[in-house]
Amino acid sequence: MALVEIQNVHKVYKRDSFEVPVLNGISLSVPQGDFLALMGPSGSGKTTLLNLIAGIDHPTSGKIVVDGKEISNFSETALAGWRARHIGFIFQMYNLLPVLNAFENVELPLLLTKLSKKERREHVESALRIVDLADRMRHYPRQLSGGQEQRVAIARAIVTDPTILVADEPTGDLDAKNAADTLELLRRLNEEFQKTIVMVTHDPKAADSARHTLHLEKGVVIEGAYGIAESARA
Amino acid sequence: MKYFKLVWRNIFRSPLRAFMTLVLMAVIFFFVATLLSILELFDRFEDQGQGANRLVVQSAISLANPLPYSYEQKLRAVPGVEDVAKMQWIGAYYKEKKNFFAVFAIDHDRMQTVFDDYKIDAKEFEAFKNDRQGAIVGSDLIDRFHWKIGDRITLTRQIFPYDPELTIRGVYHHSINTASLYYHMDYHNESIPSMMKDHVNTFWLKVKDTSKMAAISQEIDASMKNSEFPTETVTEKQFQATFMAMMGNIKLLFGGICACAVVMVILLAAITMSMSARERVTEIGVLKAIGFTQGKLMALMLTEFSLLTLIGGALGVFGAKLICTILPIAKITQGFLVGFTIFPATMAIALSASVVVGLIAGGWPASAATRMSVVNALRRVV
Repeated sequence: MALVEIQNVHKVYKRDSFEVPVLNGISLSVPQGDFLALMGPSGSGKTTLLNLIAGIDHPTSGKIVVDGKEISNFSETALAGWRARHIGFIFQMYNLLPVLNAFENVELPLLLTKLSKKERREHVESALRIVDLADRMRHYPRQLSGGQEQRVAIARAIVTDPTILVADEPTGDLDAKNAADTLELLRRLNEEFQKTIVMVTHDPKAADSARHTLHLEKGVVIEGAYGIAESARA
Repeated sequence: MKYFKLVWRNIFRSPLRAFMTLVLMAVIFFFVATLLSILELFDRFEDQGQGANRLVVQSAISLANPLPYSYEQKLRAVPGVEDVAKMQWIGAYYKEKKNFFAVFAIDHDRMQTVFDDYKIDAKEFEAFKNDRQGAIVGSDLIDRFHWKIGDRITLTRQIFPYDPELTIRGVYHHSINTASLYYHMDYHNESIPSMMKDHVNTFWLKVKDTSKMAAISQEIDASMKNSEFPTETVTEKQFQATFMAMMGNIKLLFGGICACAVVMVILLAAITMSMSARERVTEIGVLKAIGFTQGKLMALMLTEFSLLTLIGGALGVFGAKLICTILPIAKITQGFLVGFTIFPATMAIALSASVVVGLIAGGWPASAATRMSVVNALRRVV
């Protein structure tokens, strides 16, 4: 069953008086429990596609359905609430809040829920155990290595048990060892916890960790799974 | 409350900037609270006669023109007048010119009826009445000059050609007027040259019914209109207000300084808050991405900014209060600010203003930062 349905999506950015088409009629579906890597050169539209799936951007035209809900029509406020419940973000630069320690950073998404303080603590400790950082929960980002920061960011992404994890170049700022550890962690989340993951990467090794890979170029899918031939042909 | 930690940590994320902002706010609101309290003190001075149902009869030409003693009986005969006391401003100082304060000669036997809001110990008042050169003084004067009952003092002349030699017989207590000296009108009248005798610059009337004060004033002034000494009768509040008016439009000046200070601090705080908001655009993008709405982020940032300015404002206001408590302000200001403190109402106004400064100064930066789309905010570094 498809968790994400993308139908003939176009995205055009306006730069002053110019219109820059980024996505040109993409259609694809991502099944529940998949680990999908989006690859392609810079400007191919892979991050834009990820943003649309994550509900932080609106398509110019087309339809995006996630878990049975068409999110392309949601208002900003409705999208914010939807993201809080369904999306876990993993960024290239980790993007932890420097004023909060690891525990507090992971707790952030839970502040938007009605969970009690005790319940929040249990969820956070559980998420930090999964990423093997239970002993660093009182450490601030500046006291952690890059790999550890990314693991805290992954804990923050999974703490609400979201429907989809979206990762934008999650290993882009890490050395080989930490990159491998991060990819192993993502694979574990996919295999052991059945998390659906969509990841943008330039790194073929990172893409190898995914179950499927799509290659984009100039806003269309040119190679990969899920009947991409239609959009490639278009 | 679950967001408090985030708000609090963000306030002090840049310790130097937070410190400088707090110092700026503290200094500005120290002066705002002080100036507003001076204005409040002036208002209280004007209001000291409010509700005391007293009228003041003075010359219609000017306060410097005296009225004859004979007016006392005429005034006493006006229906609705309960009692009348003569009072003369003396204009003398103690030892040095800087020790200037309000000195009056008064009908001592009328004090307890006309000025019944001035509280004095019965024995002390009896001693005052029985001593022609006796004086009663306000509690702040006793503190200022370290006088005690029984002390003999000599005041130095400035208007009348004699130096009053007095013995302190009592201390009066009043909610506002705490720094005046009163002695016997008889002693004054006997000490001045014959051409000045039996004249006084004010009569103070106690009326039975405050609702009839306007009618009584009109009746008195109308009856004296064509006499050699026409009168102007005003309420005590109006009388005090004329003294304040002599100081020029000091209220406008002080009010203007306060307004300028608040505008300046808004502009300076806005610069600080713009820097704070701009350097956090990516973080705001992250928070929006994980589900924080623009409204919630705006509320968090405004809470942060207004809390920062409130803390700074509170440091300034309570600092001013502390200094007023520790230092002898009346002595330092040579009696100009007697009874001065940072009044509770002024503190409330200044603290509210400090919150408003945070909201106004932080409003635009917070709005601009939280309005940015998640994609644009994250693009800064991602």
